[in-house]
Amino acid sequence: MSEEILSIKNLTVDFGGVRAVNDVSLSLRKGEFIGLIGPNGAGKTTIFNLITNAFQPTSGEIIFKGQSILGKSPDQICRLGISRTFQNIRLFPQMTAYENVELGLHSTPRYSLAEAFIRTPRAARIEAETRKRAHELLEMVNLSQHANARASSLPYGLQRRLELARAMATSPELLLLDEPAAGMNEDECKELVQLIRQIHNTMGYTMIMIEHHMNVVMDLCRDSLIYVLNLGSLLAVGSPAEIQNNPDVIRAYLGERKNGRDNAHA
Amino acid sequence: MGYLIAIVILCGINIVAALGVAILTGYTGLFTIGHAGFMALGGYMSAIMVKELNVPYPLALLIGGAFAGICSFIIGYPAFRSRLRGDYFAIATLGFSEAIRLLLNNTRGLGQSLQDSTSSFGQGASSLLIKLGGAFGYMNLPNVTNVWVVVVTVALAMFFAHMYVTSQYGKNSIAISQDEVAAEMMGVNLLKTKLISLFISAFYAGVAGGLLGFYFAYLSPSLFTITKSSDLLAAVVFGGIQSLIGPFITAFVLIGVPELLRTFAEWRLIIYGFLFVIVMIFRPQGLLGYVEMNFSFLGRWWNAIFRRKHTPSQKG
Repeated sequence: MSEEILSIKNLTVDFGGVRAVNDVSLSLRKGEFIGLIGPNGAGKTTIFNLITNAFQPTSGEIIFKGQSILGKSPDQICRLGISRTFQNIRLFPQMTAYENVELGLHSTPRYSLAEAFIRTPRAARIEAETRKRAHELLEMVNLSQHANARASSLPYGLQRRLELARAMATSPELLLLDEPAAGMNEDECKELVQLIRQIHNTMGYTMIMIEHHMNVVMDLCRDSLIYVLNLGSLLAVGSPAEIQNNPDVIRAYLGERKNGRDNAHA
Repeated sequence: MGYLIAIVILCGINIVAALGVAILTGYTGLFTIGHAGFMALGGYMSAIMVKELNVPYPLALLIGGAFAGICSFIIGYPAFRSRLRGDYFAIATLGFSEAIRLLLNNTRGLGQSLQDSTSSFGQGASSLLIKLGGAFGYMNLPNVTNVWVVVVTVALAMFFAHMYVTSQYGKNSIAISQDEVAAEMMGVNLLKTKLISLFISAFYAGVAGGLLGFYFAYLSPSLFTITKSSDLLAAVVFGGIQSLIGPFITAFVLIGVPELLRTFAEWRLIIYGFLFVIVMIFRPQGLLGYVEMNFSFLGRWWNAIFRRKHTPSQKG
């Protein structure tokens, strides 16, 4: 269980004159769950975008399952076993919930083009398997009753869960969750924590979660590590208790007193 | 009667080409205003096959389609590699089709300039190019496209288009049309999926071009102008995106009605423009946008028309 699955070494990226991520290193063992927190603009989502190669880092290395994934296209990286959800939901709006999940299962078509035109028994069987699996995944995130609803018509919280199911459909080994609880209330957050924990336990994914809801992060990471980013650099690593009492983290989040004046912007 | 059959044939040919555009524009989200170019490529290729090489007619149509499909990679590969889309891809296709048309316009001159070539290849190319006839057109093709050929081709085209868009390949294309970034992140190979869509789309246009040539018994570059491309695009935009039956119906209407109202035909483009604006304002997804091809509506119509004679099936 303890082999290293992802290792990021000295990752740096510049956007023009702005250094969005500065010399970040982290490593993950198989099956681990870590939280990634930090104030707005700290570079959390940028790290996800670098892992999935939405853009290239200026320097540094990303190694997944023993091979460098720099320069691979996002779809290749997905096929290697990294999947993600998006901070600003990116479902396929006009497709149904079921079709959204199904896409993750067949984004690499599982029969040949010729079989697509004449639907051999083999292709029909694959279609049936895909259908069954998509419904299982919908069941897992409690969306079965919404299977035929258009994705854009679903309430916000359900869209987040649907994204989760779609990401799971690509059968990843590493799952990147970008603010899964954004915009949710207390009750929805609690449900989500249970759901994510259940998925982590049953599917055995390695997971990185970006989240601003501290209750969610502290709860889900209670047995593991939290990484804190600030202004593109790694500020602290530790258990939830350590992070909560780390003076640097408190300063990054709340600001600090200067010349007796209160500059805090919580 | 002969006149009506002629209209049915022309409509059928346009439906085949419009289904090709529907696959590319309606399902993959890539706008094209260059499908006349692919029709020309397919048409000339299948004409050469039949006339110069005595290839059987149905096989020649397939070869013409395949040739148009392969030529589509010339424009598709660089355009998709550099992630052209939206208006930019549409303009690229327009440039491609105009280049094809101008090339065909000048085959005669090109052939004459090659006449002094000493190699046998040069001689062969020269005589073929002169036969294509440049702007005068490629004459005396066998007149073999009849209404049955067209009806069978339309049926096959509809069937295979339906198979494609409901397959895993087709569903990946739909995902690309909705959110390219998300599709790529979920593992869809953008380049490959788009090229497959473009190939099939160009194949359809190529077959339509072949049918057209063997119906008129001649081919000339003036048949494949931007007006032709925009007619096809109009059929798909009016008919609706992610729909096959929509473009099918509108291709029929947009060709059939101007033919029937011949005196009115010149007003067509003005009316198109007006209709485009109306459709964009009131129904941006097209008249039958997102309507999957199924024939339950026939049952409903049947009930609506013959309700008194037949007991209606349970309401649902």
